[in-house]
Amino acid sequence: MVALTSYLIVSAALLGIGIYGLSVKKNAMRILFAIEIIVNAANLNFAAFTRYMNPPQVSGQVIVFYSIAAAAMEAAVGLALILVAFRLNSTIDVRKLNKLKG
Amino acid sequence: MALQAKELIYGAVALAVSFIGIAGFFVFLDAPYLAMLQIAIYVGAIVVLILFTIMLVRREVSEELADRPEHAEGAAGLWLAGLLAVSIAGVAALAGPNLPTEPQSANLPVSDLGPVLATQYPIPLVILALLMSAALLGALVLAKVEK
Repeated sequence: MVALTSYLIVSAALLGIGIYGLSVKKNAMRILFAIEIIVNAANLNFAAFTRYMNPPQVSGQVIVFYSIAAAAMEAAVGLALILVAFRLNSTIDVRKLNKLKG
Repeated sequence: MALQAKELIYGAVALAVSFIGIAGFFVFLDAPYLAMLQIAIYVGAIVVLILFTIMLVRREVSEELADRPEHAEGAAGLWLAGLLAVSIAGVAALAGPNLPTEPQSANLPVSDLGPVLATQYPIPLVILALLMSAALLGALVLAKVEK
């Protein structure tokens, strides 16, 4: 069967993609995409490690359950924030949303 | 794909595809319930919500915001992310022999998840419910703000 290492490598790749999006992208929407990708990398790690415990446990799956629910909430609030930012500033370019800058 | 597609809508669709792929990983990991949850919540809810928001914010998204990073910036981000991912993957690969091998029989029926959720982790469940209602109300109030 597949080794645990393969799952860890896939997860690390997902994390890398997410970090790249977080640090480079200007569009707030794409930054939200990147956050979702990072959360998914963490979920994959949890599921993989809990599966490879001896004997296998379900507690990791419970944590992933909570994490998915929290990510859904985070996406709802984030999208609402993006909507408000767009309505107030008519842009979602995070480099231009600098009203808080002194 | 999700991050580099020219049109934001295509990016959202690519994101949905990658979420389905991760659901496939969950199936391989003997977590069919998580796979179901992943497809229902991520693909069914989050991506649809993202699509709605894209349509609401569309005008400016497709025209003005080409979202191509400047050269140096993109290279720096690529280096950072690549270094991080390669180092983590390298540690995982080096630790490979020491990592536990797969137990033979997984034998984790979906029906195990409910009792564990309700008996071992009841408090987080309640907190999660409160968080959900608070987040939904907050999102509603935020989206209703007037100019």
